[in-house]
Amino acid sequence: MRTTLKFGLALALGLGMSGGAMAQTKEIRVLLANHPYGDILKAAIPQFEQQSGIKVNVESLQESQLTTKLTTEFATNSSSVDVFMTRPLQDGKLFAKNKWYEPLTGYDFSDYPANTVSIVTYEGKPNIVPLVTEWQVLFYRKDLLAAAGIKVPTNFDELAAAAEKLNTGGVAGLASRGKGAAAVTQLSSYVYNFGGQYLDKGVAVFDTKEAVDGIRYYGKLVGSYGPRGVTSMSWENILPLFQAGRVAMWTDASVFYGQITDPAKTSLGADKVGIANFPAGPKAHSPFYATSWGIAMASQSKKKDLAKTFVDWATSKELAAKAMGANITMARTSVWEDPAVVAKVDPGLVETRAFVAKNGTPTDRPFMSAVGEARDLIGEIVLESINTKGASPQIDDMAKERVAKVNTLLRDTGEYGQ
Amino acid sequence: MRKLGLGIVFYGAVALLVAIVLLPFLWMLLSSLKTQVDIVAWPPKFVFSPTVQNYYKVFEEQDFIRYFINSTVVAFFAVGVSLLLGLPAAYSIARFSQRRLALVILLARLMPGISFLMPWYIIFSRLGLMDTYVALVLSHVLIALPIVVWIMSSYFETIPIELEESAMVDGASRNYIFLKIILPLSGPGIITATTLAFIFSWNNFLFSQVLSMEKTRTLPIAVFNFLSYADIDWGGVMAASVTIMAPALILTMVFQRYVVSGLTMGAVKG
Repeated sequence: MRTTLKFGLALALGLGMSGGAMAQTKEIRVLLANHPYGDILKAAIPQFEQQSGIKVNVESLQESQLTTKLTTEFATNSSSVDVFMTRPLQDGKLFAKNKWYEPLTGYDFSDYPANTVSIVTYEGKPNIVPLVTEWQVLFYRKDLLAAAGIKVPTNFDELAAAAEKLNTGGVAGLASRGKGAAAVTQLSSYVYNFGGQYLDKGVAVFDTKEAVDGIRYYGKLVGSYGPRGVTSMSWENILPLFQAGRVAMWTDASVFYGQITDPAKTSLGADKVGIANFPAGPKAHSPFYATSWGIAMASQSKKKDLAKTFVDWATSKELAAKAMGANITMARTSVWEDPAVVAKVDPGLVETRAFVAKNGTPTDRPFMSAVGEARDLIGEIVLESINTKGASPQIDDMAKERVAKVNTLLRDTGEYGQ
Repeated sequence: MRKLGLGIVFYGAVALLVAIVLLPFLWMLLSSLKTQVDIVAWPPKFVFSPTVQNYYKVFEEQDFIRYFINSTVVAFFAVGVSLLLGLPAAYSIARFSQRRLALVILLARLMPGISFLMPWYIIFSRLGLMDTYVALVLSHVLIALPIVVWIMSSYFETIPIELEESAMVDGASRNYIFLKIILPLSGPGIITATTLAFIFSWNNFLFSQVLSMEKTRTLPIAVFNFLSYADIDWGGVMAASVTIMAPALILTMVFQRYVVSGLTMGAVKG
């Protein structure tokens, strides 16, 4: 026993000294995501340190690791994180409900679109500064559409007709995510354009006729004209298929545009790849325009003034303009109005963004604390719909039952009807 | 003639099984030498001009040498501590039939790891041990210790008790017997336990994810450096995976003779 103790102590001392954090007065801890904007921040941090005299301990993590780490640290109430990147739609509700965000009362939000600010506002106070937005678009192969004599689909009827015509042996007519929960975000615009919603004022409503029509239409298209095995595919599976030239049209988030035109990642050639507004549905034309990433201060931070300085710098117009040059679609309005900045951005992104900034729906998923569980539940209907090409008689009942379950989740967290 | 036919079937089946097992590794190895364009190419390319770009990324752009050292240090100390505590424990369990104790140790392994994380995080952060090797080593002991105890206790049971009895007649103490007679006889068992414990610690993801930070990040966490938002650098992931697997693979190949015999040790008692 004594030897063990001694050994443990020696180990603790020896290793503790080598790795222990040295206490410094002006020092903050920042957690970033593995994200192109995170990379830009990381590269610019030495400059910030010089200007401000604040030392920044930065760590960057893959998004799900980031959430796990933040959740563990905040839940134990002993976190040393001061500033962190966060996903407003995926983590926002839960983090805000637990009061893990420090409300940003002094921050100037006038340069952000109203719908992005509304989504980060809790109890009347904005909690997150929106960084990056993305929206649903239609990617298509210019050469294949031209060869088939089809013009770019602008509504759902044209989309279905084009998908059918383009669906030949080796090439899928239309791909979109088919893997249950992962598909929920890309299904959202279909549901919206049919006049449906996932949630309405804190109540699940995806069992309405409009929403179910959207789910059926999605299942019919993706089930009939999607790549083989589409029900196990998320973006990480469809992206390489598109890059390899095996998909004619693809509806997904605008964020992938760079990767399907980059000659280092695909041999397709940028001239063959097009981007267009997501087609209009029978009832509406309002694809999602979502704030995928933001940055926030931790309420548990003991250095809030230093953290505030960092947030102000990390969300500055200068950095946003720089990011736009790398085709990162920033949330700030002014950078999209600055001709010098916009000149560096791909015109396809500029045009589709102009449309959604006016007409978009600000969420792409059921916006609630238990978003993961809700996505799983809706994902089950998506699978049934794709497997039966939208024809299953069970879809209505499934939707009703899943709505009841999602409402239970909402009641459990006290968000029902809010 | 019939014998020949059977032989063909047998070796055909062996070849098939080997192919099923090896194909993913081969795919990984090939992909790690391809450019992103070649990786997604369809039909798959088996003839391509190889590139070391991915390995350059692993060792130059990313600090995999440091992650490698971190993983090694953590696994080494975790296994060391586990052997130090586990060997005497296993001996005691084997000789005094402390089955209940053994079960408790196993229980620690059966419980979902995530239930340990919160308390650990609280304890380690209050003690200022976050981002140190100590936190990681202690958490990995939880992974390694049960393996050591369970393999070694069944191994010790196979050593004839008569050996100890005759030593006792000659006046040897328990400690003396354990150190001078039992341990030297247990080489293969210890090698098995060490190898397996090392591999489990090496591959651990969950504990390292929360308890490590930038300085102490281990290899399994570092692979995710190649996964960005809406972007996966497949070549980088593959090259990193090859880098991570190599030591575990080499270790297993060198000691596999012992590992296989060690795993079945105590399964059939003659």
